[in-house]
Amino acid sequence: MDFSAFFMQFLSGLSQGMLMVIIASGLSLVFGTMNILNFAHGSFYMLGAYFCFAAVTLLPQISGNFWIGLILGPLAVAGIGGLIERNVLRRIYSRHLLDQLLLTYAFVLIFDDVVKMIWGIDFQSVRMPAVLSGKLDILNRSLPYYDLFLILMGPLILVGLYLLLQKTRIGRMMRATASDAEMMLALGGNVRALFNRVFILGVWLGGMGGALISPQAAISPGMAVSIIVESFIVVVIGGLGSFWGTLLGAFIFGQFNAFGILFLPRMAIIFPFVLMALVLIIRPWGLLGRPED
Amino acid sequence: MKNFVLKLLGPGPLGPVLALVFLIFLPLFIGESWVSLMVEMIALAIFATSLNILIGYGGMVSFGHAAYYGIGAYTYALLLTKAGAPFLLAMVAAPILSALGALMIGWFCVRLSHIYFSMLTLAFGQIVFAVALQWYGFTRGDNGITEIPFPPLLQSTQRFYYFALVVLALSLWGMKRIVDSPFGKTLQALRDNPLRTEFMGINVRLYSLMAFVIAGAFAGIGGALFAAFNHNVFPTFMHWGKSTEALVVTLLGGMFHFFGPSVGSILLIFLDKIVTSYLRYWSFVLGILLALMVLFFRGGFSGYVMERLNAMGAKRGEGR
Repeated sequence: MDFSAFFMQFLSGLSQGMLMVIIASGLSLVFGTMNILNFAHGSFYMLGAYFCFAAVTLLPQISGNFWIGLILGPLAVAGIGGLIERNVLRRIYSRHLLDQLLLTYAFVLIFDDVVKMIWGIDFQSVRMPAVLSGKLDILNRSLPYYDLFLILMGPLILVGLYLLLQKTRIGRMMRATASDAEMMLALGGNVRALFNRVFILGVWLGGMGGALISPQAAISPGMAVSIIVESFIVVVIGGLGSFWGTLLGAFIFGQFNAFGILFLPRMAIIFPFVLMALVLIIRPWGLLGRPED
Repeated sequence: MKNFVLKLLGPGPLGPVLALVFLIFLPLFIGESWVSLMVEMIALAIFATSLNILIGYGGMVSFGHAAYYGIGAYTYALLLTKAGAPFLLAMVAAPILSALGALMIGWFCVRLSHIYFSMLTLAFGQIVFAVALQWYGFTRGDNGITEIPFPPLLQSTQRFYYFALVVLALSLWGMKRIVDSPFGKTLQALRDNPLRTEFMGINVRLYSLMAFVIAGAFAGIGGALFAAFNHNVFPTFMHWGKSTEALVVTLLGGMFHFFGPSVGSILLIFLDKIVTSYLRYWSFVLGILLALMVLFFRGGFSGYVMERLNAMGAKRGEGR
């Protein structure tokens, strides 16, 4: 394989990885702070895509529809997430792992049918915005502009998230809660309100991932289930709750997918799980995570 | 009357024996389509009860239990189609292969706890699923293995039902014996306090692994039974979606009672049948039901019934 083909495959993997980092960092943030592994995260991703689709189709046919959907879609999803946290999830924080997993799984089942009720079972698609619909020629090969857009969006959102967590008051409080929620409570921090915001932020990231993929993928009720397991792979490889770990995990996941399909197409779906299993066996806390006390 | 009900649901053999008698005569009064649903309930009940050995008794939340169900189903199917093995041999080989698979996978999994255990079982489960999906030469991939030969003796639904009932009775009896044995008690001790159990000189990993292998073997029986009934096996038998089905059933029926998962299997398949005949949105209904159960009826259906009965018993005691 010549260098240009190799490089193109790398870029394709990078764009997949960048999309995954947006989605998975939401899952990881919620787990790291609230200690909840949210199965419904995949559903929020799916809702992000459907809401973006709704904005594009329902709004008057103007050219900027996709961008409006990209902004409003994830916000709407985040609002739903906030309501779910406030009214339902809040009740089970001290419960057994199984209860938490099954309650969030219940939302997977519910949203699965809700989107079927509203949009039917057919695949939907969002038209690629005109600005991003071309292809870029590099090294005598072409790369869709949209892949480049994703490669840029990943770091952009990640930098925003990083600044939010490191430089703002609320971000510092989120990190404090993540490291010791009890101490935070003792110091008079409003952990409840903080959990709500963390969850909203996490859900927004999931919804954003869905809105971003909507012009590139078929939007269907099945997309929630496939993405959640992929997100698990990413956060487990990097380390549950680790910010940089999620980035590394997503990068590795994207590259494994891109090159796996190239070299061993039939093994490609096994690789990520083998990697996940290996990481769990050798370093259960993930490549960049910290071991539990 | 109350006394009788309490005795029926108590630890003695009265309840299970009466239930068995009921199940023996039931097919005489219901149509064939219901009998075939009951076979599905039986296969699911064995599968879910085996999972509950891990969850309810061992405190280990496995997300890849369908792997052993699937290994059982494929072992049965491959032995009959490729090797032309006799029916009973295939039925016996299925749990053995499942146990071997569980031994290899469990050896790694039991080293981890909580969420990491769940994630590793999920990863291994999906690896097994992916192998079944991709190994066309052996498993025929997503086409599945179809038209599995079948002993003429069990050809009718009703006959197969009685065979399934025997398998169910033996499996539940076996599992009940195991969870009531000193081994089962140790398992519960390590669920409640692993550290303390270890201090008592118990090899926690070994016990966890034994539970994992036993649960895997019985899951394999459930898988082989369903494969025999269905005449076809598909890779989706091993998908994590199938594992969550067993989790849902366990929660619906109640994980703190030995027969909880069996009750959950009956509930799930029965409700599925009823709801889908009126409404297209079964998973919506199931999702709502599941959320309500988690939030308000933690012990599941069986837990709720026991709670009511205990309350009744307590009231009567006060009256005296």
